[in-house]
Amino acid sequence: MAFCIAVIGKDNAPLYLATSDLERELDLQYHVHAALDVVEEKCLIGKGAPESKELYLGLLYSTENHKIYGFVTNSRVKFIVVIDSSNIALRENEVRAIFRNLHMLYTDAVCNPFYIPGEQLTSKKFDKAIQKLMTGNA
Amino acid sequence: MQIKPIITYSGSYPLFRSLEAQILNAIPLDTCEWRRTFQRPTKHVRLEAQTQQFSVEPLQKYKQGDWSILEHPILHIFVTECNDVDTYKATIREEIDTWLKLLASYGVSDWMILLVETLDMRKTKNLLPRTTVLDKMRLDFGSKNDDRCISVLNPAKFEQKSTESFRCLVQRIRFLMLTSYNRNIAKYEELIRSKRERRNQDDWDFRQYFFMQEDLALIFEKLELPTEALIQYDELDAMFSQFITHTGFNEKQQWLSYFKRPLSAFHGICLSRADKFEFREKIRTEGVSLLEFRNYLFERQAYLLLSCNEIPDIAKRLLDFLFSTLREVEYIKLDCQEGALSCWEFVCALEVLQLCEQAMEPNEVSCFQHCAPIWNLAKDKLYELGKLCGLLPGCTPSSEQLHIVVQLSSGIGDAPQQPLQFLEAMPQLRDRSPNRKPKKSAAEQLKEALGSNMAFQKLYLELAELAISTYKHVARLRSARLVGLDLGNFYCALNEPHKAVGFFTDLLRELKAENWHTLSSQTLLELANCYRKMGDSLAYTKTCSSISCCAELETLVRTFYFDEFLKSLKTLKTTLSAQPSMENANYCVLEDHFRILDIEVLNTKPIIQDELLLVQLKLDSLYPRGIVVESMKLCYELHVAPESESDVLQQVALTAPKHKECSSRLKVSLQLFHKQDNTLNCASVVCDTPKSKQPVRRSSSTKRKLSPSMQADFANFVLAENIALHPGINHIELQAKATRVGRWQFKQLCLSMCSLEFLSEQLPSTAQPPSFEISTKPASATLEFKTLIAGIVQPFNLHVSAGSFIFPADAKITLRCSKNLRLRQALAKDEASYNDDATFETQLQVPLLQLKSFEERRLPLEVLTDMPGRKVAKHYEHHITLNCPWSRNELQIPVEFQPAMEATCRLHTCGTQKFLQVIMKGLDGELLLQHAKVKCDVPGVRLQDLNPSSQQPIEIHKSLTVTYLYEIQVEPLKTEQELPIVKVHFVVKYATVQQPEVWRNYGCAFDLVDYSTLFKLQAQLEPNELCRLRTVCNLHLKITKVNENPYTDLMYEVLNDQNLWAVCGRSAGVVSMKDVDCHSISLDVMPLSTGFLPMPSIRLSKYTAGGKSKTDAHSKVHPFPPGQVYNSTKSMQIHVIASVSAEQ
Repeated sequence: MAFCIAVIGKDNAPLYLATSDLERELDLQYHVHAALDVVEEKCLIGKGAPESKELYLGLLYSTENHKIYGFVTNSRVKFIVVIDSSNIALRENEVRAIFRNLHMLYTDAVCNPFYIPGEQLTSKKFDKAIQKLMTGNA
Repeated sequence: MQIKPIITYSGSYPLFRSLEAQILNAIPLDTCEWRRTFQRPTKHVRLEAQTQQFSVEPLQKYKQGDWSILEHPILHIFVTECNDVDTYKATIREEIDTWLKLLASYGVSDWMILLVETLDMRKTKNLLPRTTVLDKMRLDFGSKNDDRCISVLNPAKFEQKSTESFRCLVQRIRFLMLTSYNRNIAKYEELIRSKRERRNQDDWDFRQYFFMQEDLALIFEKLELPTEALIQYDELDAMFSQFITHTGFNEKQQWLSYFKRPLSAFHGICLSRADKFEFREKIRTEGVSLLEFRNYLFERQAYLLLSCNEIPDIAKRLLDFLFSTLREVEYIKLDCQEGALSCWEFVCALEVLQLCEQAMEPNEVSCFQHCAPIWNLAKDKLYELGKLCGLLPGCTPSSEQLHIVVQLSSGIGDAPQQPLQFLEAMPQLRDRSPNRKPKKSAAEQLKEALGSNMAFQKLYLELAELAISTYKHVARLRSARLVGLDLGNFYCALNEPHKAVGFFTDLLRELKAENWHTLSSQTLLELANCYRKMGDSLAYTKTCSSISCCAELETLVRTFYFDEFLKSLKTLKTTLSAQPSMENANYCVLEDHFRILDIEVLNTKPIIQDELLLVQLKLDSLYPRGIVVESMKLCYELHVAPESESDVLQQVALTAPKHKECSSRLKVSLQLFHKQDNTLNCASVVCDTPKSKQPVRRSSSTKRKLSPSMQADFANFVLAENIALHPGINHIELQAKATRVGRWQFKQLCLSMCSLEFLSEQLPSTAQPPSFEISTKPASATLEFKTLIAGIVQPFNLHVSAGSFIFPADAKITLRCSKNLRLRQALAKDEASYNDDATFETQLQVPLLQLKSFEERRLPLEVLTDMPGRKVAKHYEHHITLNCPWSRNELQIPVEFQPAMEATCRLHTCGTQKFLQVIMKGLDGELLLQHAKVKCDVPGVRLQDLNPSSQQPIEIHKSLTVTYLYEIQVEPLKTEQELPIVKVHFVVKYATVQQPEVWRNYGCAFDLVDYSTLFKLQAQLEPNELCRLRTVCNLHLKITKVNENPYTDLMYEVLNDQNLWAVCGRSAGVVSMKDVDCHSISLDVMPLSTGFLPMPSIRLSKYTAGGKSKTDAHSKVHPFPPGQVYNSTKSMQIHVIASVSAEQ
């Protein structure tokens, strides 16, 4: 369902990154990194009206095989999801749903009092849930 | 293809034909206001038209619902020239009626009746017809819409007069056309809708539907509504995609097979076609491939966007268009040659880019934002093709590959000949530099690139650079770096690693700045590869070292590079002679290889200057194996106290957190608002997010450097040498002598390995101890005492404050005293030498045994000073000079002593006898006195002791005096002329009450003057026994010379109390003692009071008569000192009784 799910901290360092395809992990990471450009761009535009700020950033960019979607939380943590562009069943609404779930999972993970904000997310539970989310069984 | 609204004509054909040209020409001359239905905005539209003879055929279609708005006549005109009412009634009315009924039967209401009048001037002048044909017509047909009946003067006959009526006609035609469009478009849209509803039926054909909706789009375009036209195309686009992707495998859709023709040709889009509708015809007649159809659709969309001046949108849509088309090709499983689609994508991309390039202002970011990924795509596609055709660096195309090239080239097709009018027609497009060669078309460029390796490389590099620069232009640095990675790899393949290095380092910097470790370690591997190829051993060594520290990489890789690093490091020694410096880049970033976990100062506080500073460093080595570091320096600099922000916050924050805050924690503070009377108004919690913390958009990533940016001043550092560091955590002790005083902070760590230096960028704040202080406190010595009393043993303290001075074990302080002052160390009372004054010395060495730094020590001392006899009680000033081990200068401390007692003497006379009285007055302290003695060494002067020879010591204390008395006997020969001063020495032994066994001497010298009596004065009152008040008595004065003296003239004065005595006559007089020894003077005095009255006192003075010389005109009187004149009747009293008369 999704190729890659990444959680990126507010200083743009990756906090968590999971890919479904280990062989292409590197390539996907590069793409996720490059997607931050667009995230920054969109955040800058959306700065004007903080009240009605939409967390979901929509499609950041697409390549022949991937569509890369973004989401930014109020604490400037970014979620990047790379999905297979040939999967036409995956509409905007489904992507939004993925982000919603991801946001909840992330919130749960950082609620752990032993987690220090800004550090890598190493929670096994979180990882499991993300893997599930990636395969679409969330 | 001509698109013009159709107007039909009926009735008098020849007449209309004669007007046709004039009407058709006039219609586009002016705009007409179009009031649209459904509250859509009104618009001014310029129309064109074509005419047709009225026929039933299109109406037939219209009725059947098989019509196209493009071909449907929009207005039907009936033309007649009939001016005669009778003729009208006879024939024309019938004709019109039939015509209208026909129209009505097809549901058409867009008609117009045109009456062309050929006015007979004479007729009209004479007779106004009662009813005209026009009136009749209106009456007959135009009951509801009389504006559809119009008359016009035949312009062919009345050139002048017809203009006005002709203008009205044209205006009316325009208006009616637009009205008709309102109705017809609505109807047509309904038709389309119903057609669309049936899309899942078996006989439904997309192509039919396509043309149908496209016709509407064309009409919209014609009516200058490009956005609405675009909507039609977008709907078609979406619908088509939906069919392909959702029902692609549904056999029901027969029409799909139509698009399933193999892709033998794969021309890209062309945005500058001369004939825009070339493919429309082809779709209709021959049929096209999916690609061609898609191309056409996109070209149309692009054209419409261009007319709305929405060029960025074209670029924005391109990628979606390309990718969705690719997906469609995949879905319907079209056969195509390998690489064909890449060619197609490439050509499309370049075509759009060329358009954008021509159209856009360089500072207009919106377009470039979309262009950048297109450049990147073009680059990628070219690479794919290059790979396919063996054009990559280091490859030569095989014959099969050459064959592929030929096939592809033919498939790409030729770009249509460009008349360029399409572009030139658009005012917003301009040629930026007129001298520039007209760009080759995308297809040509591709073919050329596929032709040779060289051309391929050139184009690839060009595209990559353009992609990078465009990405940079729109501030998408990460994407730019990613393209850089591809470009770097390409350069590597070209065997030009030196060119690749720049791209890799840029990428590395970007990745490192944001802690993308996995990616940065990959980049490091690439870099190592480059450096090895370049033979840059220094950079290679550094990179190897970095790689071996990448935790993300596999151990095998890391150890391999670690070995490489060590190997290379050894060779570095020989190749590099230069010292490490910023210029020759021997520096590495320490953080890449080690992690500083903790720095701790081991010294107990405070650190004293010149002490050994010990620092423990907790260092995490990231190397996979142990390594030896030659030297490790940790420098420290003077601590600069930061402007405490908290101070500002403190004003509002009641509970300002004291500990160092975690950076991600919000700064929440309590805010209290008080009313004027200091009662609480409201309380709130405030989270102040500082503005500066907002992420700042970077123009370039200079956040983190790959080589350390600066070297701190290594003037002060702690050092450790030759340390073996294990992988993981190491504890290293660094040390140095703390030379300089101050508050210090650690600044930078520097590790040296062979010729490499590892410099830390910044010490982590968590590891950094707050700051440490090297201090020095001057040692000092002071004397502590209360009021000191001279003559007796006085305790006082020497207070030594060691400060930061480090004392040798046998340090001592030397005290030297001024004259008459002696010291000793305090002794206990029971010690043998306690009472021995000889233990006091003028110079004393006080040992400071085992005195430690910062110790304070109080050394009790005793001081004794002689008490030189003086007449007046005055402080004795002394000083003690200290010679301390920490200072070369001597320290002089003034000391003041109060005398313990005071001796004064007085000389008393009794006739010729003289007595010396010595008065001892106790001042401070209780003393015992004994053995008082006077000595006089003057010959002829003898002092006789008149004191009792008591053995008991006399005790004196404050304000208690003791008097000793002596008589002075001077031999007569030794007169005062010979010995004006007689020195007498008085000595007494004294002891303190506390120490009664120690007797010290107190001596005092007195100078005696006037020790012999010169004159004796006697006064006698007569009558002697009885003196009555207010009775004159006789006062006899007798002045007798006792000892020989030079004073001859004497003056006497009676000094009496005015209340007691009255002198009758002269009270003073001068007598001469020359040659006489005695003088008697008699004076009259009278007592004024009764009782015992003192004898009037007489004063005798030396008298010097004046007048002998001019300078000394006045007489002078000098008094005698007290010892020279003895008044034998001085304190005599006279009993005065009341006078007789008073008693009576």
